[in-house]
Amino acid sequence: MAQLTLDKVTKTFQDDDGEIIAVDEVSIDIEDGEFLCVVGPSGCGKSTTLRMIAGLEDITRGEIRLDGQIINDQPPARRNVAMVFQSYALYPHMTVRENMAFGLEESTDMPDDEINERVEKACKDMGIFELIDRKPGELSGGQQQRVALGRAIVRDPEVFLMDEPLANLDAKLKAEMRTELQELQQDLDVSTVYVTHDQTEAMTMSDRIAILNDGVLQQCATPLECYHEPNNLFVAGFIGEPSMNFFPMTLDGSTLTGEWFEYELSDETVAAVEGTTDITLGIRPEDIELVQSDTGPNVFDSTVHVVEPRGNENTAHLQFDESMDDQFIATVGGMKQLNAGQRVKVRFPENAIHLFDTASGQAIRNRTLDEIETVESVV
Amino acid sequence: MSIRDGDFIDQLRSTENSRIGLYALLLAGIAFYLFPVETAVMTMFKTESAFARTLPFAPPGADGFTLDALATAWNTLRPGLVNSLLMAIPATLVSALLGSMTAYGLTTISWRGQVGVVVLIIAGIFIPYQAVLVPLAQFWFQVLPGLLNGFVNTVFGFITGGNWQYPSRNGYVQLLQLSITHAAYGIPICTLLFRSYYQSISDEMIEAARLDGASAFSIYRNIILPLSLPMFAVTLIYQFTQVYNDLLFALVLVNEPASQVATQRLAALTGGVVQSFNTTMAGAIVAALPTLLVYIMFGEQFAKGVAGE
Amino acid sequence: MREILSRLLATGGRLRSAVSRDESDGDQLATDGGATVKTTRRDSLRNSLPIEWELIESAPFWLPPVLFAGFFVYGAIAWNFLLSLTDYNGLGGAQYETFDFSMYSRLLSDGAFWQAAQNTVVLLVVFTVLCLALGLFVAILIDQQIRFENTFRTIYLLPMSLSFVVTATMWAWVYNARNGVLNQLLRGFGLEGALVGLLRPAGVNAEVIQWLSWNTTALAAVIFALIWQFSGYAMVVFLAGLRAIPTEHYEAARVDGASTVRLYARVIIPQLRASAVSASVVLMVFALKAFDFIYALRGSQPGANMDILATMMYRVAFDSLQWAYGSAVAIVLFALALLVIGPYLYSEYRRGEL
Repeated sequence: MAQLTLDKVTKTFQDDDGEIIAVDEVSIDIEDGEFLCVVGPSGCGKSTTLRMIAGLEDITRGEIRLDGQIINDQPPARRNVAMVFQSYALYPHMTVRENMAFGLEESTDMPDDEINERVEKACKDMGIFELIDRKPGELSGGQQQRVALGRAIVRDPEVFLMDEPLANLDAKLKAEMRTELQELQQDLDVSTVYVTHDQTEAMTMSDRIAILNDGVLQQCATPLECYHEPNNLFVAGFIGEPSMNFFPMTLDGSTLTGEWFEYELSDETVAAVEGTTDITLGIRPEDIELVQSDTGPNVFDSTVHVVEPRGNENTAHLQFDESMDDQFIATVGGMKQLNAGQRVKVRFPENAIHLFDTASGQAIRNRTLDEIETVESVV
Repeated sequence: MSIRDGDFIDQLRSTENSRIGLYALLLAGIAFYLFPVETAVMTMFKTESAFARTLPFAPPGADGFTLDALATAWNTLRPGLVNSLLMAIPATLVSALLGSMTAYGLTTISWRGQVGVVVLIIAGIFIPYQAVLVPLAQFWFQVLPGLLNGFVNTVFGFITGGNWQYPSRNGYVQLLQLSITHAAYGIPICTLLFRSYYQSISDEMIEAARLDGASAFSIYRNIILPLSLPMFAVTLIYQFTQVYNDLLFALVLVNEPASQVATQRLAALTGGVVQSFNTTMAGAIVAALPTLLVYIMFGEQFAKGVAGE
Repeated sequence: MREILSRLLATGGRLRSAVSRDESDGDQLATDGGATVKTTRRDSLRNSLPIEWELIESAPFWLPPVLFAGFFVYGAIAWNFLLSLTDYNGLGGAQYETFDFSMYSRLLSDGAFWQAAQNTVVLLVVFTVLCLALGLFVAILIDQQIRFENTFRTIYLLPMSLSFVVTATMWAWVYNARNGVLNQLLRGFGLEGALVGLLRPAGVNAEVIQWLSWNTTALAAVIFALIWQFSGYAMVVFLAGLRAIPTEHYEAARVDGASTVRLYARVIIPQLRASAVSASVVLMVFALKAFDFIYALRGSQPGANMDILATMMYRVAFDSLQWAYGSAVAIVLFALALLVIGPYLYSEYRRGEL
């Protein structure tokens, strides 16, 4: 079976102004059958990484290995990978059947009836058998998406590569296809590298997420690890919607002092941040509590600036000082009524805060996960 | 919204009267663009005395009607028409196919420095042909026959006895030379037409084909070529019209009367001392017939070719 | 590839330069060389070549046609330049012995050349400007959501599908002094006498306007006929440009209360700059090539008023067999064409449109 290894993979482009590094020494191990999402903002190098795995881009430095074999110099067709493109990239003049058979005809010596058999089976698996003799132009977006997937499956590759395959679908279909893709990947048990800029997609679908920024791998971990234990400021800010609130602070004794408020740290935490004075405090919106009175340390006064009701919850944009342009976000339950202009007290519980070294951006202390409860199965 | 005086296009757009004005202008446009053609058609059915007496664009009266002019023109031009088609059709096919291949190699497959080649090709479209006429005549009538005579008589001297002569004065040879010349000069424009089309083809689809294991040739044969069929229609129609309509190359390269093309024969008819306009008009219409037919049937494709789409 | 680069450039500020890379990469590179993967000959060939694989892969498609066309276009131009430096004339082969610019200095003192050059430039400029203006006007008319749009467009473009020889034949009849449409119409409106008085060149004694032979009218008559033939082309290009403008622009200007004339003058026409530039380049080149039209109208001796460089070149080379001199005229014509297309191609290149 297939284990895909990226070992210090680097891609540079020549430009008028010198060399541009698109991907910088990225190393990732993708286990057999694993579903890995590569996320990052546009231009972060995620598509380039995928295209290097596919063989569509040369690798400047580093190695890509499939089951220990270096595939750097293999032409795309010999790498035993299949790719699903954002635009689906179906051949418009060929029927679904011809689209799916093309790769087998071009890259194998398989006899025609066997090709046909495999194509028909893949079509049945994808639920598009009745469309087999239509051309892509006669299909809906979702159906084209299935054909594109089917075309990848029929090749029976060792690795699936997907480049934002759901980006062109509307929200509802996207959610449907997300589940379906996940099921399909589990059934086939084929290693998958899935590129997306949508962190929700990455969170919900993948076994692990690799987060790239400026061509540099920031973190590669399970979705929950990335969410609760981000390596650095970038990951903390990128994963989660609405994103984490950040406040630049200075540590003085056991007190963090910022422009708007002072935060008292416990001895345990102070010990953990030993030696760093410029600290960024981060807290996720859902961890901010609205309280009635100063029930303990780290409760602050603030004013509600704007409330965005979302039904299940309200996203409140809060300010410490109305005259200033400071703002932070708290999410509160959908049934809690909040109005703009209202004064509220907020508490930043210490077990929920993240602390980062402002200079390097590295996480010094992540939130504690004591509160995680396991739901027992009903017997 | 108020309508100011003199703002006539606004009036055209917004009121009933102005729509009428708009269509009146458009119809005037038809009169402008068609009257020389209409005049020619009317004149070619008139007798000598009739075309001198009547208004040129009026239809011929019963006594002034004749088919003689058309018959004369047809007989004069018919061999030219055949020669033109013999020469233009292969030239067009070759240019289009080579243009498509060039565009594929310079667009769909991308490599550093290809812009330089593209610039040379595009500049080739705009070359005034006068700049190549003398060398062209030199090549076809002096250099090539010289080289071929030497080669054939040296290598096959035991058969030819050293007396073989390249048949420069053979009518078909001259037509073939003209055809090859047109094919060569047609490549740049055909390349440009295909190139702008190939640029619109999705890169991801070509990459998908590469991942599917298709070679450069297979991608061309199985994907690009089938997708280019509409563009072939545009290119063939445009290029056929250009080649068929040309006079300059034919003047230089074809001097055997039997192999003269339609435009040459028409120019001779027009330039004749006796100006019998019914015959020359009939000649113009007959000579224009192939391109007119193509235009009437495929006007849409011609317009696309003209717009370089 | 290009897309990725541009995406990268967009985020340029955040990208780091390669200068800061440390030396350890050198080792990385070295271990790459010892790849244990089985490679076919094609792959190892692919890696050992100093030039891009794509270049080699694509060469069979573009190289033969480019060589074929390149020989006829650029080979011939170079050859033509070489010939223009010789004294080649008459029957027989060219002698490539002495090279000098004597043909060019002869050009400078040749009145016929200056006349032809002047006519060429006038034709080029007047024809192009008027063609653009008429084409734009007709395109705007057609763009008013009219019925039978395709029919109108097809008819307006029809002259362009005709050969110069055909249109010259037709216009010779239109301009015919005694029975031509033009003079008959003028006669009908009672304008002929007045126009004869106005246009008749000194020393000419005629009662009808001889459009194609009077030096006051000959070039204008040619230009008018060429505008008739090619304004349809300008229309098609402008129409494509107009269709590319989003309807929101019309609607936004309407909401702002702009009148139609102002809408076109201030909002729409400025956006047609690219169309105008590409159309005018093509039209100028058509004008430089107007040889066929003039030849069909008047033969190779159209007279000083109608003589352009293209006709002069043909006459000098192929009638008088002064090959070297003709080649020199051709080079001047070529230089004129370069003057038109050079800046155009360069600007297209700079904008990344090639």
